[in-house]
Amino acid sequence: MPIIRAEGLTKTYRVADKQPGLRGTLRHFFARRSREVPAVKDVSFSIEPGEIVGFLGPNGAGKTTTLKMLSGLIHPTAGTVEVAGHVPFRRQGGFLRSISLVMGQKQQLIWDLPPLDSLRVNAAVYGLDDAEAKRRIAELAEMLELGDELTRPVRKLSLGERMKAELLAALLHRPAVLFLDEPTLGLDVNAQARVRDFLADINRRTGTTVLLTSHYMGDITALCPRVLLIHQGHLFHDGPLDDLTERLTPCREVRLELKDLPSAEAFAGYGAVESCQGHQVRLLIPRDRLTAAVARLLANFAVVDLEVSEPPVEELIGRLFRQGVVA
Amino acid sequence: MARALFTSQYALMLEYRAEIALWALSGVLPLIMLGVWSGSGAGADAGLSPLQLSRYFLAAFVVRQFTIIWVIHAFEEDNLQGRLSPYLLQPLPPLWRYLAAHLAEQATRLPFVVVILAFVALVLPGTLWWPSPSSFLLAVLATHLVFLLRFLIQSLITMLCFWSERAAALERLQMIPYLFLSGLVAPLETFPEGMRAFAFATPFPWMIWFPARLLSGGEVDLAAGFGALAAWIVLLLPLTLLLWKAGIRRYSAMGA
Amino acid sequence: MAITLSTFRRYRRTLARFWATSLTAELEYQANFLIELLSVGGNLAGSVFLLSLFFGHGRSLGGWSWEQALVVLGVYTLLDGLTSTVLQPNLSTIVTHVRTGTLDFVLLKPIDSQFWLSARTFSPWGLPGVAMGLALMVVAAVRAGATPGPLALLQVAVLLIASALILYSLWFVLAATSIWFVKVWNATEVLRSALVAGRYPVAAYPAGLRTFFTLVLPVAFLTTVPAEAILGTGSSRWLLASVAVALVSLAFSRWFWGFALRFYTSASS
Repeated sequence: MPIIRAEGLTKTYRVADKQPGLRGTLRHFFARRSREVPAVKDVSFSIEPGEIVGFLGPNGAGKTTTLKMLSGLIHPTAGTVEVAGHVPFRRQGGFLRSISLVMGQKQQLIWDLPPLDSLRVNAAVYGLDDAEAKRRIAELAEMLELGDELTRPVRKLSLGERMKAELLAALLHRPAVLFLDEPTLGLDVNAQARVRDFLADINRRTGTTVLLTSHYMGDITALCPRVLLIHQGHLFHDGPLDDLTERLTPCREVRLELKDLPSAEAFAGYGAVESCQGHQVRLLIPRDRLTAAVARLLANFAVVDLEVSEPPVEELIGRLFRQGVVA
Repeated sequence: MARALFTSQYALMLEYRAEIALWALSGVLPLIMLGVWSGSGAGADAGLSPLQLSRYFLAAFVVRQFTIIWVIHAFEEDNLQGRLSPYLLQPLPPLWRYLAAHLAEQATRLPFVVVILAFVALVLPGTLWWPSPSSFLLAVLATHLVFLLRFLIQSLITMLCFWSERAAALERLQMIPYLFLSGLVAPLETFPEGMRAFAFATPFPWMIWFPARLLSGGEVDLAAGFGALAAWIVLLLPLTLLLWKAGIRRYSAMGA
Repeated sequence: MAITLSTFRRYRRTLARFWATSLTAELEYQANFLIELLSVGGNLAGSVFLLSLFFGHGRSLGGWSWEQALVVLGVYTLLDGLTSTVLQPNLSTIVTHVRTGTLDFVLLKPIDSQFWLSARTFSPWGLPGVAMGLALMVVAAVRAGATPGPLALLQVAVLLIASALILYSLWFVLAATSIWFVKVWNATEVLRSALVAGRYPVAAYPAGLRTFFTLVLPVAFLTTVPAEAILGTGSSRWLLASVAVALVSLAFSRWFWGFALRFYTSASS
């Protein structure tokens, strides 16, 4: 029984059309024009309870809009969506109690006060009595490794600590579904890892369904067994990450170390040159041509070292986004 | 360069035309006071006919519109957003930027002021008048001087913010004597003798009452008025520039 | 949403938490108190002086005596203090929420969003204004010779509450328009400057403005009607009208908020 179900989800916006400069401003002052911008086009998927799912895509792809439609903040233009047995945009009490939203660059905690004060407000809002709230705060604080950070004003915390406190606030009422919008944005590598570990941990312990959007591959590879790839409002892929990399370009990365200093043009015929620095060259070669290409490389160049591996996923997906539509 | 600065600020202000329209509208206090004064006989006691009263308050409204200063708010906002440091690195002193912004804002505000005046003319026919060319020019000159004076005063207070966060409160507090002593809510003729003498010792009556009287065709002591304005400006200009330099030094020293 | 006892308790507890956290944040800035005191005191002194200008030579203001007009000023100061305590701090944040996108967090809490936005903050710095206004009302009424009995006092209380609700609705509807016009955050400034008309009894204005301040911008209901009730010159007609206007305003603010939210959830991204 899926906890989230979306059918033909679509969202189109009206945007003002204005030319830059003084003339444009004056013209716009007298005669406004607008155009329609499709943000999400006919997206359908379903998610079972306890899954961790990632929405991957470049900026402006429609991930955040989709997430907001799922959490009830945006009214879809067309299509149906159901989360935890409710229609999200009605924002009924039962629905709101079973979900939570964390946004990367925005926070719900009060800026000038310690997180504990904001948590006490939330406890009252969600109808938790003080004893229960205290227990849950202690439990989550331990998982998140938060101690006296909870008693310092939020403005004095580092970005990583703030995000951890946000997560605590979001999970206080034990939602069935946790939505995260770019949660690791702006965090350093350590903080990113901590957030990902925590999300995996909470999913394991409590079975909370986790949905996150990100344009960082690292979030997806570390955390999400299932990926929904969104590009220009369309859903390109829905399934395990490995399937995605297979689907994109069945390539291998070949790393060469050469005796002489190479030039990039020399390798053009063998495959796509990823980088050419000093004595090192990295090439992307389609798998079906791999053996032949490697043989020719070894024959035509003075190769000191050669390594064949899986290309980093970022590279593949980056290519996809640069090239546009994938077949 | 001045033209480039002004046109860029003007384009910026046009973006804010809705807000500026509202700011223009929120200056209706003199018009409301006109309502109260015209219903009361107290104006006549001070020797002012109803026509003189309505012209005075309309003039006060116009003068107020063109002497509104908001440099402290712009400055605080820039400081908060971190735009101040890049401004300080540019060869253009920030005060010029704010000045240009104010002038551009007034240019944007002008059509809305005209609309409000037109509305008043519709509702109260016969109240609008064409001032004589000489009084108009003198009033414009006086208004410009008042603008400069108020700009200096607020810039001074803004500079004090470098030393204490509480300095912004000074702006709020000085609005109180401005409100009551400048002639914005009551022409100075209606004040009792002692209060009037006290008021003229402050710079405030020169800021509204003097230009408004000029514009509405009333009798004023030109020498006293322009002299007072000039004197206050001469007093505050070097002080403001000094504080500005000291403030910038302090700002850089704090490593903001 | 069904209003049950547990819901009421939850809201009451939430309100207590709102104001406790708000006070904690505000009381960090003690210097504000002195500044507010000076500001309110200075404004009041100036207003009293200004009012006195109308009463030379045994004149009256629209038929109101000096002491009677001071009662109106007292009601105005009380409402202004209320604005500084509850209305301004809360409703100006609506614009910030819309602009920064944090309104989303408010909408996803299982508590009425209008309640959250209207009651979240409590600024103690407005209390001196409330106290001074109340004091002025009482002192001036006594000096005007008013002797209100318990029924009259009850009427005054009802009218003051009605005034507060009308004022709230005006502010809230205006702040809610920031969902369409985020840039128009200073519309509340226009309201504030227009409400200044409430310092004077509505009879002081010429006929046209009097109608305007009764039917269009209900300033008359805000200050003149409660003042009349204290002075014993009010009528039950105005009492009923005031209560009716208050209820209608409140209902309208509720409906308008729903309307604004429907727009927000269709147009935001």
